[in-house]
Amino acid sequence: MRKVAVIGTGNFGLALANLLAINNRVLIYARRKEIVEKINSREIHKGQSIHERITAVNDFKELTDQCKLIFPIVPSSNFKDMLVQLSPFLTPEHILIHGTKGLHIDVDIDKVDRLDKTQVLTMTELILKETSVVRVGCISGPNLAKELSANQIGGTVVASRYNEVILAGKKALNSHVFRVYGSNEVLGVEIASVLKNYIAVAAGMLEGMGYGDNSKALLITRGMAEMVFFGKAFGSSEKAFMGLAGIGDLMATCNSKLSRNFRVGYRLAKGEKLSEILSDLNEVAEGIKTIKVVKLLSGYGFNSPIADALYKIVYEDWELEQGIEYLMNLPVSDDTDFFTQTY
Amino acid sequence: MGNRKTIKKPLPSVQPKMDEWPIYKAYNKKEQFLEKVKSQVLLNSSWINKDESTLRYEIKNILYEEKMRLSKTPWKSDNPKEKIFWSEIKQKIRNSKAIENKEGTKEIDEKILDDIIEFYLNEMVANFKISSFKFAQKALPYVYSRLINSFPQIVYKLFSSVDKLYDRMKIVGDIDHIRKLQEIGTVVVVPTHYSNLDSPTIGLSLNNLGLSAFTYGAGVNLFTIKSLSKFMHNLGAYKVDRRRKHRLYLETLKSYSTIALTEDVNSLFYPGGSRSQSGKLEKKLKLGLLGTVIDAQRINLDNGNGKKIFIIPVTLNYHYVLEAKKLIDNYLKNKGKENYMEDENTTSFGLIKRAYKVITSNPGMTVSFAPAIDVFGNKVDENGNSFSNKGQVIEVADYFKLNGKLVRDVQRDSQYTQILGDKILQEFKENSVILSSNLVAYVAFQIIRNRFSQFSVFDILSLPKDETIIKVSEFLPKLEAVRTKLKKLAEDKKIILSSDLDFEGNELMRIGIEKVGSSHPKYVLRLNKKDEISTQSMKLLYYYHNKLSSYELEEQS
Repeated sequence: MRKVAVIGTGNFGLALANLLAINNRVLIYARRKEIVEKINSREIHKGQSIHERITAVNDFKELTDQCKLIFPIVPSSNFKDMLVQLSPFLTPEHILIHGTKGLHIDVDIDKVDRLDKTQVLTMTELILKETSVVRVGCISGPNLAKELSANQIGGTVVASRYNEVILAGKKALNSHVFRVYGSNEVLGVEIASVLKNYIAVAAGMLEGMGYGDNSKALLITRGMAEMVFFGKAFGSSEKAFMGLAGIGDLMATCNSKLSRNFRVGYRLAKGEKLSEILSDLNEVAEGIKTIKVVKLLSGYGFNSPIADALYKIVYEDWELEQGIEYLMNLPVSDDTDFFTQTY
Repeated sequence: MGNRKTIKKPLPSVQPKMDEWPIYKAYNKKEQFLEKVKSQVLLNSSWINKDESTLRYEIKNILYEEKMRLSKTPWKSDNPKEKIFWSEIKQKIRNSKAIENKEGTKEIDEKILDDIIEFYLNEMVANFKISSFKFAQKALPYVYSRLINSFPQIVYKLFSSVDKLYDRMKIVGDIDHIRKLQEIGTVVVVPTHYSNLDSPTIGLSLNNLGLSAFTYGAGVNLFTIKSLSKFMHNLGAYKVDRRRKHRLYLETLKSYSTIALTEDVNSLFYPGGSRSQSGKLEKKLKLGLLGTVIDAQRINLDNGNGKKIFIIPVTLNYHYVLEAKKLIDNYLKNKGKENYMEDENTTSFGLIKRAYKVITSNPGMTVSFAPAIDVFGNKVDENGNSFSNKGQVIEVADYFKLNGKLVRDVQRDSQYTQILGDKILQEFKENSVILSSNLVAYVAFQIIRNRFSQFSVFDILSLPKDETIIKVSEFLPKLEAVRTKLKKLAEDKKIILSSDLDFEGNELMRIGIEKVGSSHPKYVLRLNKKDEISTQSMKLLYYYHNKLSSYELEEQS
């Protein structure tokens, strides 16, 4: 049986390791030794049971020597540090399929008033920059960790410029409970996976304010249009946004109280302060950071009214109602303008 | 990884015994060589093995395209026996028609396919004759010095002109490193392409580096004069017919290149395809032939010899491009479109005739060799070891491995070719040598463009002469501003500046104006006694300015 690796023992990392263990033996890397011991003693960790074919390690050399297919599932804020440590052990023989829905920003976003394209990297671009690995891909889709760990049926996309990577991902992950689709639209898939986070914040707000399904459907659809506008401005096509990583993930994350980003929006609507929410969330809510990143990139001319409204709410103390009013008073364009708009 | 230096005279050959050169060995056993190429074509053409109807359809399609080529775009260089060959193929297809739709056509079609591949290969294949090479080694510097030196009388000081040649033709790069790599691997040179003079320029440069001879593709239109054609053929030139675009021919061409590389024969491609019509640096490469280096590297590893292939991007930097006028006219007429028909006019005789035109005056050139890279664009050290951008030693075999085994994967390799292409473009940019002529043309054009910032390039090119006159007092501050930015780029190793650019402003302006496109009937720039700079050809000024347009200096200048 083939051996594959997962880096990261967060909710999604563990859920993915359990899915991989259906077809493979799995090495999972944990930074802390006590977590290694906990996993290896099959104790329930983060509410998830540990498959018998999973072994935890704390040594990148051992991991990279034994496994050529590696799934790094690490928050974007820690991704670069992880790569710097991992890089000396990687060779072009390794295949990396990351599952991180975030961007790496080369500067402190609290200290700049605009961002240049070159300062913003997708995780694929970061891997290519920091390591000698070339065969890189990403996994993205409606993959809420808690549902995955409960063995509910689901699906995902493995995207890569390399068909070889897509096939390796499919072979490792496809199972009776999990369908794996392929795509060469890696940039679009990565952008979709990042931007849906702030749409989820907005969806949480709508729910918290008592709006119903019509309102949310409007948000999701125009949210997807906004994602496409952004994607096109950065060189991707609209294709990826129509698949599991785009509309699929958007529907799941905007309708689920399991989503961190959704919960942040919901609690903001209920009158809680952002700082309080973030401190007791104890997890990363990428959506809040993404709102700022989109604002700082606005010089590239894409249309992002939802992000603009959220920015004003989150960073400029607008009332939620003001945000709604702002959005509802914008001129209306063609329903499917995202197909025709070019940058 | 050593240092860049300029070579003043030809260096001794890395391998003095020419009969030990791979090019000699490969072409000396031509039948074996061609047999390998044929096997490679068949291996790479998966459509052949699909089914009988696909194969028959493909053959009919090839026949149709060939007949169309012969009737619509006949060239003088076309082989007179070709018509007979295709008629015979047609006959063979017709003869087997009776049994079409029944079993058995595949065998007949495979034989026809074999005949076609053999026909292409026999037309394509190069030769290497030591005597021809030795003759070229001796003669080329003299002929060439006549081309690029300024001596009004051809016979005047014939021999001393070779020394002068190297005053005018600077060859720079990490020469020792390249020579070392030649000892351990196969060298592939990929130059920028501006002029028909590029091939003799690069040929002479490679000989001066002391490398074994290179094989290279040359357009069939260059093989019109029988004696010269034979000479080129004997110097390793294989014939490429750019009119043929169907997949069997392209595959035959690629397989030829792949096998030459696996036979360790040094190769030369112009990855930009045709000459840069605008005078700009290449922005996009043609990846077809370039991809053969990836395939050849994998085959070398698979064969167990593991011989490494090293890529050396080269930039050719001219003050004066012979055919600039025609190129820029063409560029402006059909932006971005290639015009192969136009190439037909570039016969070998035409080339010689036009080369003579520049005998009277040429301000020279710089041939700049970039650091060597492996087929994935990684830097390599003097022992041929590859290094990642983080300085880590890497094995090229690892790029081809899946589950521990070397695997052939065409889609993956096409992505690798893209990576290599991007790296070559970057090397072109960083290793271009900016000459005084490029700088003054850039500054002058930008000043005029800024005067009419609302105008399109086409409007600017047709401005009346009065509107394009520049006062020296306006020119010099701009020159200094652009020079400062270029120096910063050079410090960051993003560009190379020629020593001209160290001159004081006035002197730099004067030298640049004197050298820019110096031999065109219309002057590109001229300085008069009233301290005014004028041009007779905005198009040529645009052409020479374009080289610096890839460096995004516009906004800042």
